[in-house]
Amino acid sequence: MNRFEQTLRKILANRAFVNLLATLIAIIIGISIGFVIMLIARPQQATSGIRFLFGSWLSTNTPTRIGNWLYYATSLIVMGLSVAFAFKTGLFNIGATGQYTVGLFAALYVGIAWTGLGPFQWVVGLIVASLAGGFWGFFPGFLKSKFKVHEVISSIMFNYIGMYLVNFLISNIKNASGQLLLFDHSYGRTYKVATNAFIPRSFFGIDLSVIFPGSEIDIGIILAILLSVFVFFILYRTRFGFELRACGFNRHAAQYSGINENRSITLAMIISGALAGFGGGLFILAGRVSNVGNIYKIVDVLLPEGFQGISVALLALSNPFGIIFAGLFISFIQRGGFYMQTLIKNEIVDIIVAVIIYTSAISLIFQTRIANWLLKTRTEKKKREK
Amino acid sequence: MHPVIEMSNITKRFPGIIANDDISISLEKGEIHALLGENGAGKSTLVSILFGMYKPEGGTIKKNGEIVNIRNPNDANELGIGMVHQHFKLVDVFTVLDNILLGFEPTKLGFINRKKAAIHIQELSNRYGLAVDLKAKIEDISVGMQQRVEILKMLYRNNEILIFDEPTAVLTPQEIIELIKIMKGLVKEGKSILFISHKLNEIMAVANRVTVLRKGKHIGTVNVEDTNKEQLSTMMVGRTVEFAVNKKPFETGEVALEVKNLNYIDSKTHKHLLKDVSFSVRKGEILGIAGIEGNGQSELAYTITGLLRASSGHILLNGQPLERRSIRYRNDNGLSHIPEDRHKYGLILDYPLSYNLLLKKYHKRPFTKYGLINYRAMAKHSENLIELFDVRTSQGAATISRSMSGGNQQKAIIAREIDTDSAVLIAVQLTRGLDVGAIEYIYKRIVEQRDSGKAVLLISLELDEVLDLSDRINVIYEGEIVAELDPKKTNPTEVGLYMAGSKSQPKHSDEASKQV
Amino acid sequence: MGWQDISILILNAMLLFSIPLLITALGGMFSEKSGVVNISLEGIMVFGSFFSILFINLMQNRFPGIDPTLMILMAMVVAIVSGVLLSALLAFSAVNLKANQVIGGTAINLLATPLVVFIARTLNDVRTIQFSNNFTISKIPLLGDIPIIGRIFFQNTTLLTYIGFLIVILASIVLYKTKFGLRLSSVGEHPGAADSVGINVYKMRWAGVLISGGLAGLGGLSFVIASSVSFDGNVIGYGFLALAVMIFGQWKPWRIFMASLFFGFTSALAFKYSLIPGLETFSLGYLFRMFPYVATIIALILTSNKSRVPKASGIPYDQGSR
Repeated sequence: MNRFEQTLRKILANRAFVNLLATLIAIIIGISIGFVIMLIARPQQATSGIRFLFGSWLSTNTPTRIGNWLYYATSLIVMGLSVAFAFKTGLFNIGATGQYTVGLFAALYVGIAWTGLGPFQWVVGLIVASLAGGFWGFFPGFLKSKFKVHEVISSIMFNYIGMYLVNFLISNIKNASGQLLLFDHSYGRTYKVATNAFIPRSFFGIDLSVIFPGSEIDIGIILAILLSVFVFFILYRTRFGFELRACGFNRHAAQYSGINENRSITLAMIISGALAGFGGGLFILAGRVSNVGNIYKIVDVLLPEGFQGISVALLALSNPFGIIFAGLFISFIQRGGFYMQTLIKNEIVDIIVAVIIYTSAISLIFQTRIANWLLKTRTEKKKREK
Repeated sequence: MHPVIEMSNITKRFPGIIANDDISISLEKGEIHALLGENGAGKSTLVSILFGMYKPEGGTIKKNGEIVNIRNPNDANELGIGMVHQHFKLVDVFTVLDNILLGFEPTKLGFINRKKAAIHIQELSNRYGLAVDLKAKIEDISVGMQQRVEILKMLYRNNEILIFDEPTAVLTPQEIIELIKIMKGLVKEGKSILFISHKLNEIMAVANRVTVLRKGKHIGTVNVEDTNKEQLSTMMVGRTVEFAVNKKPFETGEVALEVKNLNYIDSKTHKHLLKDVSFSVRKGEILGIAGIEGNGQSELAYTITGLLRASSGHILLNGQPLERRSIRYRNDNGLSHIPEDRHKYGLILDYPLSYNLLLKKYHKRPFTKYGLINYRAMAKHSENLIELFDVRTSQGAATISRSMSGGNQQKAIIAREIDTDSAVLIAVQLTRGLDVGAIEYIYKRIVEQRDSGKAVLLISLELDEVLDLSDRINVIYEGEIVAELDPKKTNPTEVGLYMAGSKSQPKHSDEASKQV
Repeated sequence: MGWQDISILILNAMLLFSIPLLITALGGMFSEKSGVVNISLEGIMVFGSFFSILFINLMQNRFPGIDPTLMILMAMVVAIVSGVLLSALLAFSAVNLKANQVIGGTAINLLATPLVVFIARTLNDVRTIQFSNNFTISKIPLLGDIPIIGRIFFQNTTLLTYIGFLIVILASIVLYKTKFGLRLSSVGEHPGAADSVGINVYKMRWAGVLISGGLAGLGGLSFVIASSVSFDGNVIGYGFLALAVMIFGQWKPWRIFMASLFFGFTSALAFKYSLIPGLETFSLGYLFRMFPYVATIIALILTSNKSRVPKASGIPYDQGSR
């Protein structure tokens, strides 16, 4: 076997590389199928559709588009971190959307009611949002560790419970004079949060609204990236993270080694919930380019952000840094889809993402198989050489 | 007169090994033919090929002189070949009846005619002396009855050629005698039997001929009446094996581990799996617990180590009570455990070897400081252990544990547990699935531990292992300690009788063991 | 209104909500009995209901005045077929490729709604599909006159209610009395044993998943028929509630029937609570809507101890590991 083959084998046997390859294959397949669907639905516009998906960047207002790309990626990254953190512990936090909603509500409340905090209102808002999300994530975790209730079903239930609870509270919480505190009847949506609660758009003198004029961007993206560093740190540098990952790989052996897996599962869900809650807070406290803030409409449907977090986490194979890229990628094609709207319905992007997830489940298997096969042939070779 | 089955030049390869290398074997009608060999010799593979579960790379199979093509168990069944596997293929929640007729259901328009089948099966049961309760669920019946169900499966399908894979591994000596009677009855009715075993006694007792395999190759086929155990043993291993372990006469110290009136009742099945178990292990001794699988050994190990919560009783480590203590506490204060299921409890297979080697120590300094893990220190420490215990890997401390061989995985676990320097070592099924070289090595290390003053509780299903290593033996039967024996004064037959519940010593206190 | 009238109205509504849960949960049962966890029931309900409602919409436009019974029967076929087709994706991924079943199921859930909305908007430019809901049977002759029972079970129902009952009976017979049922169960409990007696594990699991797809599609149709006059792509978590019904019913058809009645009852309360005097003035709508989900959590806690999942459920079967 010559040098080239040897290095090729070495690269292929490297797990990280194979993971990346599997992800890329999933993406390519997803986009191809989306293309096929577009061909079927609107043949004339299919090719321009794909071009829009990728090429809508080089236009007159590129900085704005980049700004928006980063802004919308923020939520994806944070939600992806939430789901990924749970995955690493062997839990499927499909309840991220409920935790997001609860966190959103908490931040909304702080943003409207706690006006005496001055310029720190947004900080407190985010902290309270995280606490609320963590509180909401506690329940499925606790139910799993104490009663062995599968976290998928219980978190789905808590999604709905959370949603209805938040809707109920918004419709009923009154202020001192008996008026609804949070809900504005005349417009059929919530009030806006105070300006002090808006997430800043500049940090250390760097003003993002100047770099990316006309876009929605705020320092949320910076916070999201810091958060992923933080998650990486917890999982791979602390003893707590070591124990969590051990539980995720093999709860029996973790128990055998003395790890309190009940405690680990519950804490992991709390942290996962807190991350999702933080995401909700980031959303509602965003000032937006027009300085009018985000509002929450009372709806009967679960907010999609939680499920998008699942897509991001799966795409990135739960790697904290990979999530940044996965979030950026999905935001990229979603924004592309947004601009594509005039041509073709932008549901196509959601379809593409769903197909990518489906394919990633499959490529996960191939990746393990390829890696194992390569590893085996290497050890066999070594045995024969001996 | 053709042999009823003839397998010629069978070769079967798996990634990395040649399981069967040009093996030829024949089975005569009405014969009981034994396949003898160590773990990994290729016996299971060979019969699995006959049963259609694997496809050989080379060779042919003939039935009654005609070449046949067996692609799957259905084909085998059509040819009248049936198999009782080592790990029974029975559905726990189904009844005996449903298990027997599964895959061979008598139907009318898709509906199963259970009444008809029940009559037929009851007939077979009576004819061959295979007593079963058709309405009982598999999870509720004894292992012996489960095996009879497997045999009835074959008879129900009119199989003429019956394959048994290690049939006696899970039976009590009483049940083994029963099985031998049944097998002899079956061949009288014209069936032919091929059975796999590594137990020389049984082969000598029941087989007509025996074929010995070693490392995938056919070593020889002899008539049982023309040979003896020593000759067979040598053919099987390729050398005369010395398992006599060198042990210094022990000077035991004080009691390190004491178990008093330990009880365990399974919360789901409400079975009383440990009944008032009491014994103690002293420093510098190996106490062996002998017994047939399923008599409470697992529960004993798990309650002592904390993986299960005892229903009542006391566990004392150096005098300190453990019953209410966490697993972490037990690990940190003198208890180490080599578990019987190394993949479930012993290792986190997806973690690198270094993490696994430090699984009992990672939370202590210098490996953890201020909540942060020092992976480099872990790697360094692992490298020492790897060298000390001769653990073979492809990438050293960073090897993902899943890719290691079973023997090396076990060595790694043993390395870790010995490294904890605990006062008490609990070793369960120490050498399951290991080859002879690894076994010798591991026995040496265990004796070393005992010589350095550690207390060792050895729970094993291999009677020879218990007899060779222990300083004292307790026999467990149906969750109770039924005998305390001195390995130097007893013999396998006597221990076997206790293991089977045919005998039990009157209960007396541990004072007796102090007098030894 | 007297208390008797109120209870009868609520129980009657209970039936409407129970049937979709019942049919879908039975579907989930078949899949899991064969060893494949199917959490894509929600997505399949969306898919099945969409195509069947679309079909109804098209037919009602082409043939106004078409007989409702014929209409609904044809729509059922469409619902079943579309459900089967979508579930084939799960079967392929889970059985042939041995991929993670929860991820595969989630992918299908994520796929169903945008796909369905996409098609709707491509055809009609709007998300919702209207149809004329003239499927209510106001009273079955004779049976509907029975006091109390008649008013609950035989008035104000749809054909699907009785189809639902029929399916429970069929499911029970198939599972416990037929060769297919025995083999299906064996494959979910101990695929190795099934394999060793010559049963094709892969084929059986495909069958289990496709049946679950067909039933979930049908469940989706019955959901839309029961709840509204237009379809907007949302089954408000009923596919997931069906999973809870299945677990609560311990994978047994008649227990699932009881469980679905219970959950249907809580859902009925959620929508009809304003009938109860004294409560209509409170804006408690959302609290009542929570009730089915809270009840599920409580039910899950109570049954967790004795839960008896098919042993091999969720574990992909690899013949090579024989």
